[in-house]
Amino acid sequence: MAAKGGPSNLEKEQMFGMAEKEMEYRVDLFNRLTHACFDKCIDKRYKEAELNMGENSCIDRCVSKYWQVTNLVGQMLGNRPQM
Amino acid sequence: MDKSMLGDLDGLPEEDKMRMAAMVDQLQIRDSLRMYNSLVERCFKDCVDTFRRKTLDKQEESCVRRCAEKFLKHSMRVGMRFAELNQGVATPD
Repeated sequence: MAAKGGPSNLEKEQMFGMAEKEMEYRVDLFNRLTHACFDKCIDKRYKEAELNMGENSCIDRCVSKYWQVTNLVGQMLGNRPQM
Repeated sequence: MDKSMLGDLDGLPEEDKMRMAAMVDQLQIRDSLRMYNSLVERCFKDCVDTFRRKTLDKQEESCVRRCAEKFLKHSMRVGMRFAELNQGVATPD
């Protein structure tokens, strides 16, 4: 073990591994959130390419609620991972 | 997704910073490819229902264009809101 007192190589590898898992989790969360809110808020007939006002509000509220659900479930699972 | 996901990296040595940045780049590439595939699948499923011809008709083509554009706009908006929530910004109901 190095006399410097910094993390050992093993500890460093573990930290990188954790960081990678955390990042993958966030990307997955974002993707699921995006798809869930698209399904809930967007009319599948695609009458136009723009988002209308109703859809915009729906998206904002959907994202907010999804986030709350994430935190709620996180609490119930014992707070892993931290937001 | 971008490098702001990494939070405060300033304390790390250079090689560690580069390693984290490389990780983000890789995740970004994988995520883009995944997005491409899922968008194609979604717009195909929502817009294409008949198979009397081999080529898309005008209606199907417009539908796919609108679908893709709409999803991309939606995704950007979600991204903005997500970032706000991550930073703990208070927003109106």
